[in-house]
Amino acid sequence: MKVTSIGNERARIRRREILLSLLPVVLILAVFRVYPIVVALAKSFTNWNGLYRSDFIGFKNYVDFVNDGPFWMILRNTMILLINVPLQVFLGIVIALLLYEQVPGWRIYRAVIYTPQIISAVIIGFLFKIFFGLEGPFNAILNAVGLQGLAIEWFGNSLTALGVIVFSIVWFSIGWQAIVILGGLSAIPPSVFEAAIIDGANYWQRAFRIVIPMLVRVLEFSVIASGVWSLTQLFPFLFSMTKGGPGYETSTLDYMIYLKSFGMGFGTDYGSATAVAVMLLVLVLALTIMEMKLADRADDWG
Amino acid sequence: MLTFIYPLYYMLINSLKTRTSYFTNPFGLPVGALQWENYTTMVSQFQILNLFKNSFVIAAVTVVLLLFVCTFASYVFAKYRFRGKKAVYLAVIATMFIPSQVTIIPLYLLFSKLGMVNTPWSVILSYLALFMPEAILLMTANFRGIIDEMLEAAEIDGCGYFQRLWNVIVPMGRAAIFLSIIFYFITAWNDLFTPMIFLQSMDKRTVMVALAALMGRYTGAPTLQFAGLLLSAIPALIVYFIFQRNIIRGLSVGAIK
Repeated sequence: MKVTSIGNERARIRRREILLSLLPVVLILAVFRVYPIVVALAKSFTNWNGLYRSDFIGFKNYVDFVNDGPFWMILRNTMILLINVPLQVFLGIVIALLLYEQVPGWRIYRAVIYTPQIISAVIIGFLFKIFFGLEGPFNAILNAVGLQGLAIEWFGNSLTALGVIVFSIVWFSIGWQAIVILGGLSAIPPSVFEAAIIDGANYWQRAFRIVIPMLVRVLEFSVIASGVWSLTQLFPFLFSMTKGGPGYETSTLDYMIYLKSFGMGFGTDYGSATAVAVMLLVLVLALTIMEMKLADRADDWG
Repeated sequence: MLTFIYPLYYMLINSLKTRTSYFTNPFGLPVGALQWENYTTMVSQFQILNLFKNSFVIAAVTVVLLLFVCTFASYVFAKYRFRGKKAVYLAVIATMFIPSQVTIIPLYLLFSKLGMVNTPWSVILSYLALFMPEAILLMTANFRGIIDEMLEAAEIDGCGYFQRLWNVIVPMGRAAIFLSIIFYFITAWNDLFTPMIFLQSMDKRTVMVALAALMGRYTGAPTLQFAGLLLSAIPALIVYFIFQRNIIRGLSVGAIK
């Protein structure tokens, strides 16, 4: 009898501990993440201007954005910008393998290669803007080596502007890729590499025959993570380099949300901006679910 | 390798030049007297120390609150057994996938109703909610590795909840806690989007918001801009180089992005 009452007392204390430990997290997430997403979802079907006007207009925001808005332009830009993903993963593998095989000075390289991740994307964006400006150092080099014809206004044309943006993203992200892939590599038994070297496999054979097949899971993660990142975190790059222009020629979905809600006069187009936000959310969720499916499959095999 | 260091070097040498000598030769070392004026202007006219203070307060308060809340929750997620744990855990982690652009408009209106727009609290609370799922994921994974016997022994010795947390979980899970402090401090310091929307008044702005304004307005004074870019990057870089080993080690085990 006494034992059970002590047991009950303990269970009661445990319940209180669980409840009080989780309550702050659940409350903060409910108020600052879940509530806003519900509002965004609901308002995407209205002509909301952020204040009093908020009439239900069905799917008009979505339809208008796809039909009349710069939707196809944005889709094209997103596709071009996503080229950064295979580039950074490829370079990440190359560098991770060099670090793994401990080329002389690898500790310093490992520290240095991660520095761009520590510098704010805003700073990096402005630096690239200056480097590739009409009178910037890149054109100065081109002029000096006699390639005046190539010294153009890189941000004046959407394709070259997107090219520079992709370059800046790859430069910014290689360190992250290399470190994550390096983490995966340390899980492969070193004997595998030793055997390959004894059998005479060269660097590229080791990269493609060992690293890629054995790191499928890690590479899937890094591809999806940098894909989602490219869809949602490019704001500072675009804001600093092109402001989404000329026109909408370098805008993406996440940049459009900013333009529609805060960039073109306060609150003019909130309803439409939330519709774009919902589209972005759906896209990100689709990618995430794909990654979880892939993860499940990998577990089945493992 | 040079490509990763060169931009820092470039900012440094050119921030010490005059405008004309920058345009004559942007690659060479500064000739003649070093132009420290660019830096003194950043301090006197641009009030960069005040901006540092604003950024620091936001980043530091965010990290302290984040650790406080997440350590409790991660301890329970890692070491307690109760019905519905998995569902609550997954729900918390799932909020990680909501992009911050999606929630920014309703959040802005919520904060303006609460009178928090133009105060650091709007940014701190947004960051807190934004960083929480990832921090909990990292810390829970780490706390799971702590041996149960140690917690049981502590409990038998009469340690209550807080004592177990402070004497067992915190010292054993310090790697994850430490990584979170550095990582989220740097992330908060470097962010532009959230503070740009929520903090409009000049004296409340963070470094990155003010820097974006500087870069837009002073295009005629590139060497001053270099001084501003370099100064704003330095605090995070110092933190990184001090704790570099911990960051790299932490990143290769539990990948955070």
